[in-house]
Amino acid sequence: MRILFLCYRGNPFCGGQGIYLYHLTKELAKLGAQIDVIVGPPYPDPLDEWARVFRLDNLNLWAERTRRLPYEKLARVLSPWHFTDYFLTRFHIFPEMETFSMRAFFFMKELLRKRRYDIIHDVQCLGWGLLPMKEYGMPIVTTVHHPLTHDRRADFMVDRNMWEMFCTIMFYPLTMQRAVINRLDRVITSSRSGVSDLGAEYGVRPEKVSVVYNGMDVEGFRNTGEPREKRSLLFVGNTEDHKKGMRYLFEALALLPRDVTLTIVDEGPPGRLSAWNIITELGLRERVRFTGKVSLQELASLYSRATVLVMASLHEGFGLPAAEAMACGTPVVATTAGALPEVVGDEGAGILVPPRDGKALADAVMKILADAGLRGSMGEKGRRRAEENFAWPVAARNTMAVYRDVIESYRRAV
Amino acid sequence: MQRSRFSGYTACAAALALGALFLFYAFLNVSQSDIVSLDSLGSTAFYAITIPIALVALLVCGTGLWVGWTILTIKVAPPMPEIVEKKDFARFKALVLCLLVLAVAAAFVYGLSVRSYWALAIPAAAVTLVVLGMVFWVGVAIITARATLPESKKK
Repeated sequence: MRILFLCYRGNPFCGGQGIYLYHLTKELAKLGAQIDVIVGPPYPDPLDEWARVFRLDNLNLWAERTRRLPYEKLARVLSPWHFTDYFLTRFHIFPEMETFSMRAFFFMKELLRKRRYDIIHDVQCLGWGLLPMKEYGMPIVTTVHHPLTHDRRADFMVDRNMWEMFCTIMFYPLTMQRAVINRLDRVITSSRSGVSDLGAEYGVRPEKVSVVYNGMDVEGFRNTGEPREKRSLLFVGNTEDHKKGMRYLFEALALLPRDVTLTIVDEGPPGRLSAWNIITELGLRERVRFTGKVSLQELASLYSRATVLVMASLHEGFGLPAAEAMACGTPVVATTAGALPEVVGDEGAGILVPPRDGKALADAVMKILADAGLRGSMGEKGRRRAEENFAWPVAARNTMAVYRDVIESYRRAV
Repeated sequence: MQRSRFSGYTACAAALALGALFLFYAFLNVSQSDIVSLDSLGSTAFYAITIPIALVALLVCGTGLWVGWTILTIKVAPPMPEIVEKKDFARFKALVLCLLVLAVAAAFVYGLSVRSYWALAIPAAAVTLVVLGMVFWVGVAIITARATLPESKKK
């Protein structure tokens, strides 16, 4: 099977789509697929062993003031697509998806003179360019982990004034995504809750949605055997993302005994202050530590040493940290928001509590901290669940099954 | 002149020249008879000019209305405690924005219906000057930008 991936940001360290692209293409290639990738910056780690990569340009002008742009960017801003990016970003529009899809559309015109594909797989771009791309005569599937409407709602919760609300509204390309997603051949989402979510937010019919659980590196995320700390909570994620419910996590920490500490895998102050401000307000400075960015090995070590992973999310399209912690044999306390119940499961790998309830989070954490036997059994069940459901080879096989179904339907209809 | 700065000067000069020409011929060098003569334009010519300008103008008005309406009708879970008090004022501003945009759009449509020259000239000027302003601003930034390498390294 010949598959063309479109990914507007390909680097694994700048978002979930980069990780998805890297691992999924690698596993699909092992299944015998021919993989080509059209990708925007920041570009992915080398995929050359298993994929042919075509890099599209983008000056990444978002949130950059004109006077601070380096000369190398300024000298190129006046070309048509870069100027479009520049023009739109000045109005606080985030145009990367729009312009990437249009650039990809024009690039494909040349590419298709030499290469043929059975299917196009868009990785949560949903740009306008996908609509004319349909005329190239191939089915297009897209992966959407969660609708951006959730991100926008979470931003509205912390917007303090009219200007911040204006910026939020302009930032999210919801109109475009709603228009494009309903015209594609299939939508892949990473949880059953995602099906109803896409229906409610974008009006996507359930029969157009296929569920493929996200993959994760179950070999990389394995218990390291290091001694486990007795009273240490772990949070992994972007503390500036308001969907993570950081306030409720800190409220829970404030209710727990003073010897319970929290390690956050993210940048802290001075660069990122949202979480730090709440920590300061609640008097938790001595009990919270930020690690900054860590390598995969360091992350596996942190999971393996932590007593409990805590996720206070208000919404999760999947909840990868929960799956990673389970793979390392670490108990999970998470909310019932989004796909977290599906990830944690009901086999006893973790405890689920309602979102927006710091007290319930604290109670669940206390229950685990107080019972070593429970921690052990949760860890074992978590590892088993992760291996069976969330390994990348499993995700690749299921994705391939979706491709076959879509191609068959498409060819029948033509 | 450094070659690297040439594009900056060109962008600034082009933006200034085009902006000046536009303002002169669209606003300063227009006689009453020219304005009145819009009535004498044939329907095809009138709509050929009107439709693109109207689309852009109404798109801008529509965006303003959409932003205001979205703020007015946000239905999300209660905001974070520290900002609850500050949100109400934004809704009042959003209402003002909606009303203002509706008034501008109504004035624009009325202007078109009576074939007013200004109904076409003002939106066209706004769009043209914004685009030229951006080109000018990029040009200034190019002229004043530091090269990435410090002087000592260049040698």
